[in-house]
Amino acid sequence: MALQGPEELGEQVEEPEELEDASSISPAEEITLPAGPGGDEEPPEEEALLLPWDRFSAWLHCICVVGFDLELGQAVEVIYPHHSKLSEKEKTSICYLSFPDSNSGCLGDTQFCFRFRQGSNRKSSLGCFLETTDRDAPPCLKREQGHYYGYVYFRQVRDKSLKRGYFQKSLVLISKLPYVTFFHSLLKIMAPEYFEKQEPCLEAACNDIDRWPTPHPGRILTLPIMGVVIKVRIPTCYDKPGTSQLVQSAQSDSLVSIVLPTIHEVDLFRCFYPVFFHIQMLWELVLLGEALVVMAPSPAESSDTVLALVSCISPLRYSSDFRPYFTIHDSEFKEYTTRTQAPPSVILGVTNPFFAKTLQHWPHIIRIGDMKQAGEMAKQMKVKKLKNLKTLDSKPGVYTAYKPYLNKDEEIIKQLQKGVQQKRPSAAQNAIIRRYFLELTQSFIIPLERYVASLMPLQKSISPWKNPPQLRPFIQQDFMKTLEKAGPQLTSRLKGDWIGLYRNFLKSPNFDGWFRNRRREMTQKLEALHLEALCEEDLQQRIQQHTEVESVDLVLKLKDKLTQAEKEQLPVRPGTLAKLKSHIEAVILALPDDLQGILHKPSTP
Amino acid sequence: MSVRISAMSVLPPVRRDRIIAQLPQYFRKEAALHTKEDFNNKVKTACQEQRTGTVGRFKISKVIVVGDLAVGKTCLINRFCKDAFDKNYKATIGVDFEMERFEVLGVPFSLQLWDTAGQERFKCIASTYYRGAQVVIIVFDVNDVASLGHTRQWLEDALKENDPTAVQLFLVGTKKDLSSPAQYAQIEQDALKIAKEISAEYWAVSSLTGENVREFFFRVASLAFETNVLAELEKSGTRQIGDVVRINSNSSNVHTTSKKKQPNCCQ
Repeated sequence: MALQGPEELGEQVEEPEELEDASSISPAEEITLPAGPGGDEEPPEEEALLLPWDRFSAWLHCICVVGFDLELGQAVEVIYPHHSKLSEKEKTSICYLSFPDSNSGCLGDTQFCFRFRQGSNRKSSLGCFLETTDRDAPPCLKREQGHYYGYVYFRQVRDKSLKRGYFQKSLVLISKLPYVTFFHSLLKIMAPEYFEKQEPCLEAACNDIDRWPTPHPGRILTLPIMGVVIKVRIPTCYDKPGTSQLVQSAQSDSLVSIVLPTIHEVDLFRCFYPVFFHIQMLWELVLLGEALVVMAPSPAESSDTVLALVSCISPLRYSSDFRPYFTIHDSEFKEYTTRTQAPPSVILGVTNPFFAKTLQHWPHIIRIGDMKQAGEMAKQMKVKKLKNLKTLDSKPGVYTAYKPYLNKDEEIIKQLQKGVQQKRPSAAQNAIIRRYFLELTQSFIIPLERYVASLMPLQKSISPWKNPPQLRPFIQQDFMKTLEKAGPQLTSRLKGDWIGLYRNFLKSPNFDGWFRNRRREMTQKLEALHLEALCEEDLQQRIQQHTEVESVDLVLKLKDKLTQAEKEQLPVRPGTLAKLKSHIEAVILALPDDLQGILHKPSTP
Repeated sequence: MSVRISAMSVLPPVRRDRIIAQLPQYFRKEAALHTKEDFNNKVKTACQEQRTGTVGRFKISKVIVVGDLAVGKTCLINRFCKDAFDKNYKATIGVDFEMERFEVLGVPFSLQLWDTAGQERFKCIASTYYRGAQVVIIVFDVNDVASLGHTRQWLEDALKENDPTAVQLFLVGTKKDLSSPAQYAQIEQDALKIAKEISAEYWAVSSLTGENVREFFFRVASLAFETNVLAELEKSGTRQIGDVVRINSNSSNVHTTSKKKQPNCCQ
C-alpha cells in the first residue's frame, strides 16, 4: 500500500475493516495479548518470591542526584536507595556524564542518556531470575552485561540566591535496560517533582517502582508512578518486527494514565534529518561496525543520534561499544582516542569542540547542528560530502572517504524529501525510515539466517546414546556461494556490491555477536532434541543389559542433563523434563538400596 | 504488517464478584451523593446500545484515599481488593496502588486506587498523587474524633489539585467493630453533619469484619461510572465516540514503495 498522505499517519484512525470484531476491542487499557510466551496476564509465581527492592532492582540499579559543588565541581549528592553500590570510578563517570559540557548552554530542562562501563563485577542475587525474564526479549532489548545506561534529566535555571548564579542539577536513572523512551518518560514525571519536593519524592517514587511487576517481555505492564499509571509492553523476540502491540486510546487522560506505544524507539527522522541524504551509507557504516563519531551541539542531540544509529540495524544487535554521550573525562577517553592504533569499532556521541581535534583522524564523522533549526538545512545537504575538512565550525554533514557498497536508493530520499515539502508529520517520516531500515537489514540478514540454519545437523543424526551432534562450521566460501541463488536480490531491489558488504560484515563484531547468539541458540536446540530423544528411550530395558556401575553413571549423566536443561532453560517440549525426572527415578529404584540412598541425596552444589 | 487488532483479546473476564448490574444503594439517605434507585436512564440506554466496542471510553477512574495516620486506609483497600486483613500496622511509604476491575452494566470499568500515606513526612508529595482524581475517599476512625475533625483539611489538600466540581467525595468511618453502638451513634451525628457540609456521601465500615466494605466500593464504582458515562454522553453530542485512534508509527500504510516485495520475516 503506497503512502497516501500525512493525515493518515500521525494519529492513525483505525480502519473499518480492522474493526470487524469491534465488540472485543477497547483501548489499550484493556488490551492484552493472547497467552503465549510471556503473554499471560497473571503475575508469574516466581515474582511472589521477590524480596523488598528486588522489583526495583529489576528495573533500575539506582537513582542518583548530581549537583554542582563550588569546591568539588560536579558531585553525586544522593544515591537512592541508600544501599545501592557504586564504585568511586563509576560515581566519577556518572558525575561527568550527567552534566552537559559547559559550552553547550542548555538552559532550562534537558534530557539525554549516556552509557558507561560497569566498574566492578557485582553479582546480583537476582541475576538468574532476570536472565529468564530476559530470554524472550529481542536481542537489542536485552539487559546490558558490562555496561550501565544513565538516563538524565538536567535542569539549569538562573537562581540569584545561589553563589554560582544558577541552579544546576541532574536526576539520573542508572539501569541495565536499554528502554530509552520509557525512562525518559519516567523522568519527565519524576524529575520536575523531585526538583520541587526533594527527597521524600524520591523515596515515594522508589517505593512505587519497587511495587512494579518485573520487566517481562510480552506482558502489558501497569506501572503506577507518582499518581500516574504508565502502561507499557516490552516487545518479545517473537513479535513481528516493525509492529507495535500497544494501542493508544484517543482520550487517555495523561493525568491518570499514560500509554507508551514504544519503550525504546527514538525518532529516527528527527535524528537523521540533518544527514538524511546519507542514511543508507550510515546504515552500512553501523552494520560494519566502523568507528563513528557524532559531533553535536548538546548531549540531547548526540545521544539521540547515537541511539538512532545503533538502532538502524535492528533487529540486529549492535555488538560494539557505543556511547551516546562521551566526554573527555571518560575513563575510556585515552583508550578510544589514541592515535597509535586504528580507531576502535565504537560509536561516540560528543559535544565538546575539543574532540574535533582529538578525533580528526577518525574515518567517519557526523556533524549535526541544532536540530531545532533543521528545517533550513535539508537543502544544502545534497552536495555536502566532504573529506578532510574538520575544523571547529564545519558545517553539518557526514565527513568520510567511505564508498558505500550498495547503490544509493534514490526512492527513499525522494520520498522523504516529498514528505518534507508536504510537511508530512514527523511520526510518519519516522515510520518510513524505520521500515526502510528494517527491510534493508532483513534483506541483508535473511541469506545469513538461511545458511546458518543449514549448518544444523539432521534430526536423524541425533542418537540418545551419543553426544549431541556438533553444528557444522560456518564456511565463508560456502555461504558466499549461496548468495548467487538465494541472496538479498530476492527481497531487495537495491543493486551494488552485496558480496563486498557481506565479506566485510563477516569480519565485524556485529557478525561475531550475531553468530555467537545463533550458535548458542542452535546448540541449545540440539541439546533439547537430544534430551527429548533420550526421554523416548526405554531406560529400564537398557539398564538390564548393563552393569551397576554403568547404571550409576547413567543416573549421574541424566542428572547433569536435567540441571543443565533447567539452568539454560533449554527449549524442550513441555513435559520433557518431568519425563526425564521420572526416568531418573525409575533407574535409581532399580538399583540396590544402599546405592538408592546415595543417589537420592540432593547433589551438593 | 499491520497490527491485527483481532489477534489481541481483551483481558480475561472480570471476576464474577465484581459485576454490577444494579445500582448499589447509599448508606445513609441524609448523606448520599444521590438517592435514586437505579442508574440514570441515559446511562442504561447507552450501555445497552453500545455493544459495538464504543463504550470502553469511560473505563477508568482515579480514586485517592486520604486521611490521618493509622485510620485504616490501607486495610480498607486490602479488605476489598485482596479480601485480607492484617492486624499489624505497617506505615505506607509514599503511596500504595491497586487496580480493581469491574463490570458495570456490562461495560468494563476500572478503579485506580491510590492509597496515600498519612504521615506528615509525605504531605509535600501528596499533591503529586492527588492530581486527576475523580473520586476522593476521606477516611477517619470512628473511635477517634480528632481524625474526623481533620477530614476538612484532607479535603482541602486533595481539592487543591483537582476541579472541586468534578470530584465525587466519600467520607468513610472505619473500625466500626471497635465502637459500641452508643459511641458510634454519637460520632455518626458529627460525621453526617460534616458529610452534608462538604457534599460527601457517608459510609461506616469495618475492614476487620468486612462489614459494608464491598457495598461501599461497589457504590463508588457505580457512581464514578455513571458520572463518567454522563459526562461522555454530553461531550459526544456531535462526535462519534469510540473511534480508536492509534498512534502507531509502524502500520501498514507506511510502505516505502508500492511495488517492493516484502521480505520474509527472518526472526
